[in-house]
Amino acid sequence: MSLAFLVPLFLLGLAGVAVPIVVHLTRRQRRNVVHFPSLMFLEKVPYQEQRRRRIQHWFLLSLRALALALLAIAFARPFLDESDPGLGGASGPREVVVLVDQSYSMAIGDHMQEARREARAVFDALGPLDRASLVAFSQGASVLARSTSDRARLRGALDTVRVTSRPTRFGPALKVAQTIIEESSLAFGHVYLLSDFQRNGWTGDEGVRLPPGSTVTPIPLGTDEAIDNVMVTDVSLPRQIVSGRERITPSARVVRRGGSGALDVNVALELDGREIQSRTVTLQPDAALAVAFQPFTVSQPHTRGTVRVPDDALVADDSHHFVVSPGTALPVLIVEGGSSDESVSLYLRGALDISQDGRFGVTQRRANTIRPVDLEGRAAVFLNDVQIDGASAERLRAFVADGGGVLIALGEDGGWPASAADLLPGLIGPVEDRIQGRGGRLGYLDYDHPVFEVFSGPRSGDFTGARFYRARAFQPSDSATVLARFDDGSPALVERPSERGKVMVWTSTLDDFWNDLALQPVYLPFVHRLGEYLGGRAEVRPWFITGQVVDLANPEALLTAGLVSSEATGLAEGLDQVAITPTGSTLQMPANEGPRYLPLDEHGFYTVRQPGTDPDHPFVMAVNVDLAESNLSRLDPEELVAQIMAPATATRDGASLTQAVELQREDQERRQSLWRWLLLVALALFVIETALSNWVSRTSRGAPGAVAG
Amino acid sequence: MATPRNRTGGSGAQFLDPAVLGRISNLELLARTVVDGFLTGLHRSPYLGFSMDFAEHRPYMPGDDIRRIDWKLFARTDRHYIKLFEADTNANFSVLLDVSRSMSYGSHSLAKLDYARYLAACLTFFSNRQRDRVGLVTFDHEIVDYVPPSMKHLDTVLHTLDKAHAGRAGSLHEPLMQVAELLGRKGILVVISDFYEEPDAVLGAIGPLRARGHDVIVFQVMDPHELEFPFEEASGFEDLETGEQIPVIPTKLRDEYKRMVAEHLATLKKRFTDNRIDYTLLDTSKPLDLALFQYLLARERLSKAR
Repeated sequence: MSLAFLVPLFLLGLAGVAVPIVVHLTRRQRRNVVHFPSLMFLEKVPYQEQRRRRIQHWFLLSLRALALALLAIAFARPFLDESDPGLGGASGPREVVVLVDQSYSMAIGDHMQEARREARAVFDALGPLDRASLVAFSQGASVLARSTSDRARLRGALDTVRVTSRPTRFGPALKVAQTIIEESSLAFGHVYLLSDFQRNGWTGDEGVRLPPGSTVTPIPLGTDEAIDNVMVTDVSLPRQIVSGRERITPSARVVRRGGSGALDVNVALELDGREIQSRTVTLQPDAALAVAFQPFTVSQPHTRGTVRVPDDALVADDSHHFVVSPGTALPVLIVEGGSSDESVSLYLRGALDISQDGRFGVTQRRANTIRPVDLEGRAAVFLNDVQIDGASAERLRAFVADGGGVLIALGEDGGWPASAADLLPGLIGPVEDRIQGRGGRLGYLDYDHPVFEVFSGPRSGDFTGARFYRARAFQPSDSATVLARFDDGSPALVERPSERGKVMVWTSTLDDFWNDLALQPVYLPFVHRLGEYLGGRAEVRPWFITGQVVDLANPEALLTAGLVSSEATGLAEGLDQVAITPTGSTLQMPANEGPRYLPLDEHGFYTVRQPGTDPDHPFVMAVNVDLAESNLSRLDPEELVAQIMAPATATRDGASLTQAVELQREDQERRQSLWRWLLLVALALFVIETALSNWVSRTSRGAPGAVAG
Repeated sequence: MATPRNRTGGSGAQFLDPAVLGRISNLELLARTVVDGFLTGLHRSPYLGFSMDFAEHRPYMPGDDIRRIDWKLFARTDRHYIKLFEADTNANFSVLLDVSRSMSYGSHSLAKLDYARYLAACLTFFSNRQRDRVGLVTFDHEIVDYVPPSMKHLDTVLHTLDKAHAGRAGSLHEPLMQVAELLGRKGILVVISDFYEEPDAVLGAIGPLRARGHDVIVFQVMDPHELEFPFEEASGFEDLETGEQIPVIPTKLRDEYKRMVAEHLATLKKRFTDNRIDYTLLDTSKPLDLALFQYLLARERLSKAR
């Protein structure tokens, strides 16, 4: 801390200290000039002695000089510079932000211990006026201590930093640091980045730009030596129905990064914690292999599986978890007119039956009525060119209300009773021919809809090859959603949203009578997607990636998470839930009306229990780490620093930094306002001096006046 | 005491205060030494010649007027002697008045120059009444006004005295050397000044006058503040003649100053006396007539002693 001046130019006013001396010496001379005939004798007295003797009132002179000096200093706006030039080259208090990497790669060696040591050293080196923040980051960033000078608190927060199962992302952490520095009242920001600097954590387009005056000190942890890392990157779980039994034939993809020379790796398959198979493969450096296991049969829902390789330096990616349950066929009812051609459902049924894993259990009924028993246990109903009666329509209404799905494929005979017209997504019109040219085509598909989503990618299915020669006119209601249109704009597939169930209308046929869609390659997946969508079957995810979130109050989300449908509704609507993390922590999920998000932060198996469910087979979700972190190639820290500091560096020596320093100095001066006190003291000194000089003048004897001839 | 600028007429008659004149009229101004002149009177002639009173004989020297040889004594002694007579003559009376700037100083109502003018006027007046030829020389660093000695120059002298003004720096040597050249006839020279020069310089200027046979009377006029230095407050002291100014703390300097002045006056007095020059210190705070009275008393006593 040193005395500094905001406007040092005013210190030239210190020369004014000479004013009272000059006045003191000259004022009396001008007032009392004595004309004397000759200085013949006076001049014989040594001059210096007279000069010295002329100053009679040293105290008055001192008062005047001191007052003027204080005045000049006050105008120079003095302040105590609280900056500590010894730290970081900055000349003021710093806003220090310590970013500690807690991605799972930090579990390698003693990286985390080293990070704690380095962070502690940074905290110990803080100046008295510095403030520091501690931010732990991996995929996201969390502020553990924000802008505090309490070192004990910082050290305490540092002790809570643990290695997570998430990958490294520098962007969020640096943005947090940017925000902290921008919001700080201190002029200088200093970011310490403690990480193993994995290249995958930085893309360069995160848009981080630290404010001018900020500096970044990267502290690389660990060594640059390449680490031999073997990981299980993927597991495929194809199902087959063999002799009426479902079999799963798993295969795992094993990848080796780094290393030298061939390496024999034992790949093991575990189910419910028990190893049932293992394979030994030879992996070359930077090579990958697919490891196929013998098929196995799953008898219990939520069976936990793991493909594991021996532990190496990076343990988190040495195992790959998944959850499998016995497959269930989706029960589908196809209703066709009693008088219809028998081939009307040929293509539809054939498409639904073609499935190795037995996805659909198809039941066909040739009648214009639907009995209640026909709908029992059904998930989806296809009304294929049939005109049902009103009672049947009402049964379908109840069916839809319970969550079922109905597709009405219109044709020559297709129709819908007027009594239940409100269940349809619009009004059915007459037959329209498109026989001119080569017929109509599908011109618009809603690729965001689950039915067409799988066709959104390139070479994922071409609907434009299908020709439509005839279709029924359809007038969609206001609440209806048109999922597909012909090239003339008329609706092809329309959906009426409902609370739970679904009602869809296909304005053409599902055979080859009015169009040749059934002859196109996209017909099979299209029909499958229709059946799955109507039946409410979700694509089950055998595992999640750390960082994802599951809403335990959303049945669809639960189905996607692998929960069997019989339990999904109960778990979603149910009672209080308890989630157990892979490390054994318990998360209470109380029942309420809102969503119940379960963050999947750890890799392993999450178990969700609720009262009334089978305690032996609880709902389990597998979570694996993001394998982006498994790539241990390093990023040059200076490259990262250059990117986030590039604009700032350009102005660091320029006006912005100067302005920042000036603002900081002005802020200090304004807060201290020493000039006010100096002015007060100077004023007091002037008053005292005036009083004293008057008193001296009154008491001093005057010399006789001299008369100039 | 007369008021300096109390003019009652166009001439310098205002200087002749009746009280002063009344006291001085009881005295006779006697020249200390005999000067040659044309009028007989109280003054004794500085030359031996036409006077009725025999003075002495001296051996004839080539160049002497042979008419002055005492033939009777030659007859008795067979040697040539010149017969010298002592005769009363009228004298040339000149006042040499210093009008340098330093003479303008005065700590009270009467400046030194005023005082000196009164003194000069009085002496001139009396000398004129004694039928001396009166003249005046005013000078500073050179001769300012010159009134040749004459019986008719009383008014001129008084007028010149009246308009005398102290305005420039002064020195003694140069103007007094010029005076010595101007005044060929021996006479009485009254020098009035404050003599702010070193004693050697003063004597170096006045000595030649004395060496030429003039009867030199010196009046040193000083203000009481010059003598006592009663100043108290620290002030800038400015030399009236040079304008030089120096800061002075009088209380610290007074003793030293008085010692130096006393030493200076004593030295002057001794040096004048040694050169047979009458010296009188006049304090301008003292009455002028009293000073004149005391001086004339002294001169009369000295004259009778001769």
